[in-house]
Amino acid sequence: MSLNPSPSVAAPAGARSAAAKRLLSWLRQLLVLAIPFALFGLFLLAYGVDPLELYGSMLVSTFGDLYGFGEVLLKATPFVLTGLAAALPAKAGLVNVGGEGQLAVGALFAAWFGVFYLGGLPAWIGIPAMLLAGALGGALWGLAIALLKVKGRLNETITSVLLNYVAVFLVGFFVHGPLKDPESFNWPFSPEIAPTLRLPIFDGTRLHVGFVIAAAIAAIVWFVLARTRLGYRIRVLGSNRLAAERAGMRIGRMYFWVLIAAGAIAGIAGMIEIAGIEGRLRATTGANFGYLGFLAAMMAWNHPLRLLLTAFVLGMISVAGNTLEIGSGLPASAVTILMGLVLFFILGGKRRRG
Amino acid sequence: MIADILTGAVRSGTSVMLASQGELISERAGVINLGTEGSMLAGALGGFAVTVWTGNPWLGALAGGGCGLLLSLLHAVLVVGFGANQLATGLAIMFFGIGLTSFFGRDFVSSQIVGFNPVPIPLLSDIPFVGGILFNHDPLTYLSVLLVPAIWYLLFRTRLGIMVRTAGEREDVLFASGLNPRLIRACAVLAGGFLAGLGGAQLSIAYTHSWVENMTAGRGVVAVALVIFASWKPQRAMLGAYLFGAAQALQLTVQQQGWAISPFFLFMFPYLLTLAALLLVERRKLSRTPEALGRVLAGDPGG
Repeated sequence: MSLNPSPSVAAPAGARSAAAKRLLSWLRQLLVLAIPFALFGLFLLAYGVDPLELYGSMLVSTFGDLYGFGEVLLKATPFVLTGLAAALPAKAGLVNVGGEGQLAVGALFAAWFGVFYLGGLPAWIGIPAMLLAGALGGALWGLAIALLKVKGRLNETITSVLLNYVAVFLVGFFVHGPLKDPESFNWPFSPEIAPTLRLPIFDGTRLHVGFVIAAAIAAIVWFVLARTRLGYRIRVLGSNRLAAERAGMRIGRMYFWVLIAAGAIAGIAGMIEIAGIEGRLRATTGANFGYLGFLAAMMAWNHPLRLLLTAFVLGMISVAGNTLEIGSGLPASAVTILMGLVLFFILGGKRRRG
Repeated sequence: MIADILTGAVRSGTSVMLASQGELISERAGVINLGTEGSMLAGALGGFAVTVWTGNPWLGALAGGGCGLLLSLLHAVLVVGFGANQLATGLAIMFFGIGLTSFFGRDFVSSQIVGFNPVPIPLLSDIPFVGGILFNHDPLTYLSVLLVPAIWYLLFRTRLGIMVRTAGEREDVLFASGLNPRLIRACAVLAGGFLAGLGGAQLSIAYTHSWVENMTAGRGVVAVALVIFASWKPQRAMLGAYLFGAAQALQLTVQQQGWAISPFFLFMFPYLLTLAALLLVERRKLSRTPEALGRVLAGDPGG
């Protein structure tokens, strides 16, 4: 089975002029990503910001020095994982945006275990245990969506969005209540986790090994999807449910486990936010990362390895959003308009080879 | 206390009710629009802004509907025109709406308006208990209540309604009758966007009298869920919306009573209630799902 760049197509249509086809598909995807940047440039011009300068400074700050590069990778890390939480179910034909809530609950579990149980452990056992705790939290939240989907026959998109709101309030409850730092002067956040539980940091940057973990998980997901029987079955299910049914696959069970796996991956993103950056749980930990991951997955056409690239681009845009706010007084939310435009062009450009 | 909750149910349920009536039209035509959330936000901001500028809440409400309609136009173009995935497109419009309104809304955060205020209906509002609950509301709320039978009549008793419903069930039939099902679907989506925008405007102009970033907080998504809960019946969607409103109103009541329930559980409650409601009706409703919509919800290709 060759590496198949088009997730929405049933199977590679033979080998005829595969190279030319692939080139065309790449060009097309590049164009779809370029137009929104041009449109957003016009928008910026209307507000008196030179788009070329902004895009230029975006590139310079990213590739100019090690620190800037590290900052972008740092931003990109959760997007990779929440992106996988959207891309993996998408391969099975599901539209899952539960990453947002799953990340939050994963962060909650990681912080809970980190604060109360894992503090005294050495790093080599404490960090993996905390990672598992995060994955467990995310998986539990994914379990809710999976049960509602398989047992309750409820559409996963609607339930996952609704549960995202619930997750945010759940984290709110914990940081205002059982997990509140007694020395916080009434600020809503958890106590700090032990220094042994913090992820190791690369010299000269703020970047931690979380990015390596995210990249490794992306590689694993890619391998499973592209190279194993299980992955093949998931892709068949995603491209033609009826065919999968006729072939005797147990569809409910596959949906169930795919949604739980996605939840676990997003939960790990939550753990990385706690152990890598914040050191403690806040009510706002990871806000919007799930939605941005969904965007990253769409930009990557749900391909796990290309997701690394699109998450990186989103990381650049996020950093640029901060630059924009500092440099020109436009709010950082301006870049979400750009992200929305990108999404629309991807969605509109997706119909093809019909 | 019960009167408080019921009054609050209508007050805070109306925005969701308007949005769900709009979404109902759209879903009857076979298009699910999670962008309802974005349309509501756009309506809330657009309506608020125009009310600030003109001082006239009626113009504001109209502008709110217009803003909601504009966002739903994106959905119509992408879904009906380009055949994009309905659920993913709806989500994209939701994000876009959040970003757009938080960008353009920052100048309005501290603005103040008079907006709509409760207008008690003479005599009727004096009836003990019931009067306060039913007959002491803002004009948009009265309007929204009248809208429900109007939409029911439109959908089930007129030619236009048959066209809309056929677009959601058997578009080949429309085709055979020389009608363009895609056009009808697009119009249904736009109507839904307008009502969602109006609902958003009700929230900002009549209910809270303010603009706050992301103030709809999932009400649009709830509206979509309620339509499914309601088995695509306007009167049941109204009921569902007031139920959601009651769950919201519970927060205030519990605070006033001083009961020791964490506010966060009360915040969660409306969403959990929505999920529970969905789960409850799920088993009975399969045959009633508009056919085209059933394909989208089940995730079948070609939706």
